[in-house]
Amino acid sequence: MEDTKKGFNFVEWFRKMWTEHPLFSTACALLLMAVLQTIALGFDQASFGDWLSKYLRNWINILRNNATIGIIALGMTFVIITGGIDLAVGSTLVAIGAIIMLFFDGAPPGILAARGITGAPASIIGTPPGRLAGIILGEFTGVLITVGRIPPFIATLGMMKICRSVTQQCMQTINPSVPMPFTKIANLAIGRQMFMPIIYWLIIAFIMYWVSKHTAFGRHVFAVGSNERASKLSGINVNRVKRMVYAIMGLLVGVASVLQVSRIGAMDFANAGSGYEMDAIAAVIVGGTSMSGGRGSIGGTVLGVLIIAVMNNLLNLIGVPPFLREAFKGVIVIGAVLLQKKEKN
Amino acid sequence: MNLRMTGISKSFGANLVLDDVSFFLGSGEIVALLGENGAGKSTLMNILGGVLPADSGSIEIDGSAVSFSSPRESLDAGIAFIHQELNLINDLAIYENLFIGREIRSKWGILDKKTMIGRTEEIFSQMGISLDPEAMVRTLDASYKQIVEISRAMLMDARIVIMDEPTTSLTETEIDRVFSFMRSLKAAGVGIIFISHKLNEVMEICDSYTVLRDGHMVSSGSIGSVTADMLAKMMVGHDVIEEKRASHACGDIVLSASGLSDGRNFSDISFSVRSGEVVGFTGLLGDGRSELFLSVFGAGTQHTGTIEIDGKPVSINNPWEAIEHGIGYVPRNRKENGIVKDLDIIENGSLVTMKSRKKGIALDIRRIEEDFRKEQADLSIKMGAETDPITSLSGGNQQKVVLAKWLSAGPEILILDNPTQGVDVGAKEEIYAIISRLADEGVSVIVLSSEAHEIVRTSSRCYVMYHGRILTELEGDDLNEHEIMRWATGAAI
Repeated sequence: MEDTKKGFNFVEWFRKMWTEHPLFSTACALLLMAVLQTIALGFDQASFGDWLSKYLRNWINILRNNATIGIIALGMTFVIITGGIDLAVGSTLVAIGAIIMLFFDGAPPGILAARGITGAPASIIGTPPGRLAGIILGEFTGVLITVGRIPPFIATLGMMKICRSVTQQCMQTINPSVPMPFTKIANLAIGRQMFMPIIYWLIIAFIMYWVSKHTAFGRHVFAVGSNERASKLSGINVNRVKRMVYAIMGLLVGVASVLQVSRIGAMDFANAGSGYEMDAIAAVIVGGTSMSGGRGSIGGTVLGVLIIAVMNNLLNLIGVPPFLREAFKGVIVIGAVLLQKKEKN
Repeated sequence: MNLRMTGISKSFGANLVLDDVSFFLGSGEIVALLGENGAGKSTLMNILGGVLPADSGSIEIDGSAVSFSSPRESLDAGIAFIHQELNLINDLAIYENLFIGREIRSKWGILDKKTMIGRTEEIFSQMGISLDPEAMVRTLDASYKQIVEISRAMLMDARIVIMDEPTTSLTETEIDRVFSFMRSLKAAGVGIIFISHKLNEVMEICDSYTVLRDGHMVSSGSIGSVTADMLAKMMVGHDVIEEKRASHACGDIVLSASGLSDGRNFSDISFSVRSGEVVGFTGLLGDGRSELFLSVFGAGTQHTGTIEIDGKPVSINNPWEAIEHGIGYVPRNRKENGIVKDLDIIENGSLVTMKSRKKGIALDIRRIEEDFRKEQADLSIKMGAETDPITSLSGGNQQKVVLAKWLSAGPEILILDNPTQGVDVGAKEEIYAIISRLADEGVSVIVLSSEAHEIVRTSSRCYVMYHGRILTELEGDDLNEHEIMRWATGAAI
């Protein structure tokens, strides 16, 4: 008895955290994976400095490669908290990518060039139309869901098919080259490392976190997802909240699309972004957001993206064949939800 | 088949809900089982239906003692309980519903559709019903759905049918249809127990009556020997010494409505409410009062007619417009309509005002906390931390949080639908005191309740509704439980 009073009882603390915080188990898993990944990366370097720089490079790669999914997953978190889903993100990413490209000087229809406007910096003329297109597409989806009363799954499934198909048809013969200045958006080197996508992701994550916690809109998102009827009877404009959520989703897909086009310098309209919707949804679920709405967090989603990313990196390092990696992703999703569910009751 | 229940007693914990109750039903007889909410009607019928065991007493059918330990056994003995919420599957055909779970199969295990349809037609023709057995249940109106459900009981050779408030959601013509069906059942020798609050219907269809009050059998006999008025008196019983709200001066008319109709739930509704006045709206289940005020608040059906606030006509199409006009609305069924279970206490308590409590674009947390703490003190909400889940509170305190959410918006008109639903006695009294205080402060309060004593307790004037219409307005000495019961049950028409 005397002993427990003294000092810090780690076992007790751990059990308490494990049972009370749904995300604690996920964070532990991430930590465990980071340790394994560190071991897998090996220590066979000439000096500690060499090892450290290799280690950091690996992490920067992980973060940069997952920034696009990370940004999309942030928007998806809001959508899922309202009780909705957005299956169209991969296709809208491609559609927005195509729209951005049409604004470049080199593009055959050259929307701006045709009007005699040339020489404007590509980074300035490409970005706003991309974001605007995202908002418009998202708002349109939101209107389908609220005014048209189409279930989100169906509305976004439709948008998914429409966006990719129309983009492919329109861009058959058009494949403009992305101007150099535009590629700088994502590839600007800061101290020999290209941090830009990571910086975008972190800034947006912070803004989304702040919005979710400290604005009326953010709290309304949770209220609508938890009890739509009570929210409506409390004077919340439920339809407006839902439209906003899909518009924000669209805006973030726009941002992700700009980054993608800029980073790769081209876009494969048939394959780019395919499967992004499922990856984003997986990250949101692993992050503890409830598919039935009302519960979830931006922090959890960042954690969810990271755990999947680190696991992928780990599997790569220890030489698991690429075909099997998707299976591990599935295991993570099911495992995380199993653990989280156990703790709630 | 004769049914005799003798000396039935039942208690839940220390609470005696049935005390030595006896009940008789002869074959081909329709008995009205009457009583206020909580009189013990449902408990008695649940004992008969095998849902609950009796503590003591006996049940005899045709002179031999029986006991039921499950609904199945009761059904096997020929007793069918037709609940208010019908157990039909809308997307199946009538005959499929009749045979669900007991489908007739041919020798290959394939459904024998022809035989099932044939049996269904047989039953319908016996009862004089002209329905196509292959029609989808979805296409039927509420009266035919009841008829289908009772036909299913007939298929199982039921000889006693318990009907729990069957006419609540029916229109006049539908009621006539159910009544004529009941008469065919009667002619076929089936005994019917008719639970209803609508005394004019009881007078029309029933042969005898049994009145329960507070778990006791008060009276029973032949319908021919009583009037609806007498029945209403028996249900309320004791001359209640009513604690009434002290009358005090009211101001000008704040809210008035004339000729409101939505074509379905309510029609030709006109009323007015003054500032500082508490006005009650009461009636039976399905009288349309909840739908009426949901519509007034902009969250229900569209209505025709005019609403005036402070003498100016207004058009309210959604709740936030209603809020802008100074209307607050505490809905019934707190769990479904009132609280948001994933938000914490203070968020639930500030959901209405959140939009307007801002500093720049961020929430003005300090202001929200100030608002909530004031309401918490005024309403004496007992709670842990403000960030605890709303579900950690008792029903009464949850209801107070819902009230706090509206009071922090400072409404001029407050509509309370069933404000004491699911709260304990102590919290009930506190809520009555809050209503009284709000009126003293000049708020116009509208209380919707099916409990007559609640209306008498809180209101200085009340409207009684019946089938979507306002039957009468009671005030002063006329505002008492007897009078409310007489109008609400339709005994006065």
